[in-house]
Amino acid sequence: MDERTPTLHIENLTTGYAGVPVVRGIDLDVYEGEVVSLLGPNGAGKTTTLITVSGLLPTLGGSVQLFGQQADSRSPHKNARLGLAHVAEDRSLFFDLTVAENLRLGLTGNKPDRDAGMDLAVEFFPALGPLMGRIAGLLSGGEQQMLAVARALVSQPKLLLIDEMSLGLAPIIVERMLPTVRDIADRTGCAVLLVEQHIHMALGISDRAYVMNHGEMVLSGDAADLAGRRDLLEASYLGEAAL
Amino acid sequence: MSEIFFFLLLGLGMGSLYAMLGAGLVVVYKGSGVINFAHGALAMYGMFTFDTAWNRGEFYFPWRDFLPSHDVNIPVRITLASDGSWPMVPSIILALVVAAVLGLAVHFLVFKPLRNAAPLGKVVASLGVALYLSSVALLNFGNAFPIPKSIVPSDPIHNFLGLGRTYPSNTLWAIGFAVVMGLGVWCLYRFTTFGLATRAAAGNEKGAVLLGYSPQFLAAVNWVIASVLATAMAIVVGPLQGPITPMGLTALIVPALAAALIGGLRSIPIAVAGGFALGAVRTLLDIKKQDWFDGPLLWLQDGISQSVPLLVIVAVLFLRGHSLPIRGSVEEKRLPLSPQPTRMLQHAAVWIVMVALLANFWQNAGLRTVFAGALQTTLVFSIIMLSMVVLTGYIGQISLAQMSLCGMAAFMMSRMMADGLPRGSNLVPVGGPNFPWPLAALVGVIVAVLVGLLLGLPALRIRGVQLAVVTIAAAIAIQSIYLENDELTKLRAGVPAFIKTPTLVGIDIGARSGRFQNERPAFAIFLVVVLALVAYAVSNIRRTGTGRRFLAVRANERAAAAAGINVARTKLLAFGISAAIAGIGGVMLAFKQVEVSSANFPYLASLAVLAFAYLAGITSVNGGIVGGFLVAGALIPVGGNYLLSDANLEAYAVLFGGLGLVVTAIIHPSGIAPFFAGAWRVMGNWVCRMTPGAVTLRDGYGGQRRRELSVVLLAMWVGAALFVYNATFIEPMHWRIPLTMLLLWIATVIAATSGRYGPFSPNFAGARDEWASWFRRYGAWAGVGYVLGWLIWPLRVDTYSKLYMPLLGAGLALFAQMLYMQTRSGEPHDEALTDAEAHADELEFEEVD
Amino acid sequence: MALLEAHGVTVSYGGLHANDQVDLECEKGTLVGLIGPNGAGKTTFIDGITGFTPIAAGRVTFDGQDLEGLTPDRRAHLGMSRTFQSLELFEDLTVRDNLFAAAERPKWHSFLRDIIQPGANERQYVTQVEWAMELLDLADHADALPADISHGQRKLVGVARTLAARPRLVLLDEPAAGLDTAESQHLGQQMRGLLDEDISVFLIDHDMGLVLSVCDYIYVLDFGRIIASGTPTEVRNDPIVIQAYLGEEAGEAQARDAEAVRGLTRDGGSSDG
Repeated sequence: MDERTPTLHIENLTTGYAGVPVVRGIDLDVYEGEVVSLLGPNGAGKTTTLITVSGLLPTLGGSVQLFGQQADSRSPHKNARLGLAHVAEDRSLFFDLTVAENLRLGLTGNKPDRDAGMDLAVEFFPALGPLMGRIAGLLSGGEQQMLAVARALVSQPKLLLIDEMSLGLAPIIVERMLPTVRDIADRTGCAVLLVEQHIHMALGISDRAYVMNHGEMVLSGDAADLAGRRDLLEASYLGEAAL
Repeated sequence: MSEIFFFLLLGLGMGSLYAMLGAGLVVVYKGSGVINFAHGALAMYGMFTFDTAWNRGEFYFPWRDFLPSHDVNIPVRITLASDGSWPMVPSIILALVVAAVLGLAVHFLVFKPLRNAAPLGKVVASLGVALYLSSVALLNFGNAFPIPKSIVPSDPIHNFLGLGRTYPSNTLWAIGFAVVMGLGVWCLYRFTTFGLATRAAAGNEKGAVLLGYSPQFLAAVNWVIASVLATAMAIVVGPLQGPITPMGLTALIVPALAAALIGGLRSIPIAVAGGFALGAVRTLLDIKKQDWFDGPLLWLQDGISQSVPLLVIVAVLFLRGHSLPIRGSVEEKRLPLSPQPTRMLQHAAVWIVMVALLANFWQNAGLRTVFAGALQTTLVFSIIMLSMVVLTGYIGQISLAQMSLCGMAAFMMSRMMADGLPRGSNLVPVGGPNFPWPLAALVGVIVAVLVGLLLGLPALRIRGVQLAVVTIAAAIAIQSIYLENDELTKLRAGVPAFIKTPTLVGIDIGARSGRFQNERPAFAIFLVVVLALVAYAVSNIRRTGTGRRFLAVRANERAAAAAGINVARTKLLAFGISAAIAGIGGVMLAFKQVEVSSANFPYLASLAVLAFAYLAGITSVNGGIVGGFLVAGALIPVGGNYLLSDANLEAYAVLFGGLGLVVTAIIHPSGIAPFFAGAWRVMGNWVCRMTPGAVTLRDGYGGQRRRELSVVLLAMWVGAALFVYNATFIEPMHWRIPLTMLLLWIATVIAATSGRYGPFSPNFAGARDEWASWFRRYGAWAGVGYVLGWLIWPLRVDTYSKLYMPLLGAGLALFAQMLYMQTRSGEPHDEALTDAEAHADELEFEEVD
Repeated sequence: MALLEAHGVTVSYGGLHANDQVDLECEKGTLVGLIGPNGAGKTTFIDGITGFTPIAAGRVTFDGQDLEGLTPDRRAHLGMSRTFQSLELFEDLTVRDNLFAAAERPKWHSFLRDIIQPGANERQYVTQVEWAMELLDLADHADALPADISHGQRKLVGVARTLAARPRLVLLDEPAAGLDTAESQHLGQQMRGLLDEDISVFLIDHDMGLVLSVCDYIYVLDFGRIIASGTPTEVRNDPIVIQAYLGEEAGEAQARDAEAVRGLTRDGGSSDG
């Protein structure tokens, strides 16, 4: 449906743990400047998909292409250097380091790039400014989440994967953070793949969405269309038995 | 008071070395999550490199050419300066470069492949590196340990700080170096991106990977830093402690571990401070022990300063409990599976008969009497290895103090049977209750169990790697507080403890008689019966509820607790059983040695025991027994030595052990024993299919008359063995083997044609096809091996080598091929393997040759 | 009195209440479900009940006995056993041995008998282990290692292991995760079957279909608090529940109203169960 090269192209991907597939044969594309939601009930395989994209988990079949080239699952750090940033479900912050040190580790490139990256972080998350000297482990849940996204952002990535940003956060904080994600995509041209459990909030800021269940892709389409099909969403979430 | 202060200051010199090694341990742990038991060994090798370059003008590569008489030699030694001395600065640079290369090599060859291994695998690999480096150093640099020259001024400073005493200035230099280097490293990790990334990866490896940092690169750099630091410090501090020995420097790991643990394995400044404090306190205690530990505390005098690290380590671990950082990785490999032992009684019967025969044959066999002693060593160590099988193989705990437990039992037994009479070399007799030997041995074993339970207490709160740290410290403490403590053992320095000869209903079953040394067959039989009983007990544990609970705890402590298993009690039980077996091993070792001294139970031997047990396959009873064959002085090194008389293989036992351990940990964690089990099976199948008539017996083995058939086969086998050794009328000897095979086959056919075990079907055509296919598949390998063996037989001088060297070559070639096939496919290569599994042990056939 | 009673159970991780004042009851002979979104604190609750996580405040009783201070293995001996979300099977033991390990209640001297007379201690447990294997159709895989059977069967082994000790209550933590729809329905039937064997069941699962179809009573947990409870039909139609699962907007206004009402009743001290 699009002629450009997708930033992320997943084709017939099967992946899982210890040879047991958890995700079976899914297709997914994300283009530059786009926010795409990946939705589905718990255990559907969303997180598994994301960690396969960033190379932490080897594929069992199919392919993952980043920026037009094959993703590297033998040395996952190389994917990050290509311009992939992944905000993991557990946030993967360095709890012993300060906020500033956490951000500093996300920086790449030469001096001007690094300065620009740092500015970007403070610009999108001004709340982090006064916390720079604080140890990351002592931040509140919301602040930690901001730091995790900010740390991903300072490398000025071309593709941003965000996993369950709202996990353990009060809805009011999520309400404030999700629009920032939209902002990031609009202003930096970064492609965003978002896994989120607050469906309606997620659909509100997304261009398109995919819905997974039991490791398979069950729905996909424009975010606005899906938001209107409550019945379909409920069915895929609550299971057929509940209908 | 000022005196105490001065001695504390004096101790800062040694403390600076502990501090730097401790800091290095922290660096490596942060960088790669490995607690590096080889850290002292790395420092040691660098230090020796420096010393031999500077003072002897020579350089040794960290390996050996173990067949030096060959035309093709691996370079080992380079002469740097013909006048025997190289300048100091290049020597230092050379040593530091060697340290860096060793650090890199250890990372890339050992720990990078092991990054997802179980923690035990990493501990074992680092022990392997330590054993390898210390034995290579011993072989390369020799036994003449130098007192190294100091590279910094060592003039005494009179009236130091107005304390009225003379202080060596090189100590001051050492302290300065340690402080400066400590600060440097601290700054590196505080302020540079590399340092930040290392700390970040230590806290959350996934996070670091996702930001584009390669944990392996970070780890490699950290290994280099730690290794270079350790070597640099050893060069500066080395001269402070008198002559340097490979073992002494390797053992520095214990205080260094204490220092690193004080720093929680994460803080470099605290580790450095801890190292200094430890050095100061130990030196103070060493100097003042005569004054402070007298009267009722006299028994503590000898061991107190050596025990300080243990006290510190236990205190730190108990205070911190499980709060020490444990680095998880994305996927962690498990310990190898522990197989179910089968048909133990039959195996035991075969073993007992075989040992009885061998012990008799070797009794008066000229050059081969050396095997009689080796057989006894093998059996004793097999028992000791079984204690590791219970503790590590079944329940996944590590103890590096097993030999110390053996020593406790042996010494306690000796004390219990002491009667105050002078005999042998005991010029100063020791008084005691004069118990009969079984009672004395029982007391020894009980004491070992009590000490073992004490060792197990820390396991209730800490696990895995940290337990290894506690037990290695405990081993040193036991050695110095009890085994080497004249006050407690009542032995004058150097005099061994006397052991009474064991008797059974009046029959002497001791190891030595008046005329011979270490070769009484009765003792070998006594040993093998004890081994069989212990092995039977250990395999029963595996097959019953006790073993299930052990393995459940090993697999998953949380789930075990949820299933109603009392984890703490289960662990203590394992420690107790393991200590009991170690105690039995110690008692048997004492009987074998006739008199024991602390030199029989060095703490480093505990590392070797773990190493060989792991190498052989620590999760199975077979592995424990095979492990006994591998230790220095046991049948395999002694046999190898005998076959390759120039090679001095005995001296290489520990070297090969260390190397084999590392390789095993990386490529085949379940060890050698499972491979042997598979190879036996494959060979049994060959023999069966290639011998017309044998198939009948094999099939009969699964039938109703199995017991009877077992006896028949055993009798045939014993008869064959007797014939080989006793048919002296057939000369030359190598004719006896084919003749025995022929007789065995005739016996087979007679047994088969009796019709009791199934219809006799000689099927000569099938056998011929088997031979043909055997030659197709293995002939080339065997042939090449045979020719190679024939080519090198002149290495040996005795008459039979022309016969057995080619056979040995062919056998080794087949072994190599099987190993190759197995590492490729994971199973021994045999088409009829599934068929073979139904009749798993035709061992009566195959063990003849 | 209910078999399992939790009153005001609070579990904290570093100042954060993972469970906040949870009141819950599980009657003898019933199948009670606990559902809630990811991160709601369901597993934490089981950990607290079974002694794997210290409870900061509150009281848990099992069959009238206060569980405070008891270690997990003591609690298992009382007749309360659990499964884990990540299975945590004993990978080195065969399926049968996994069950035996959980069934056996050794004395301190059992090891001596094991060494001298192997097999003697096992005999008294054979029936209950066989029974648990029969119940979950595992008899064909009794001698297989957990690594060699399918994921669905591994799940069943986890359940069978809790049953082998013949407990009075089993707490199942997401037994259906990773199962396909048919397998999960079959598991549901098997769980109903346990009630006939005089074993009560406490079930945590994400599979709403499963929970709604098999449970007698359901509690809904979100942000560490019980936000709703009732029969499956009541819960299915509760707007608060739908909101918790689908996020805001979904009947946001009704949800808030209902929350307010529920808050009042809870403050009033009435029990949901």
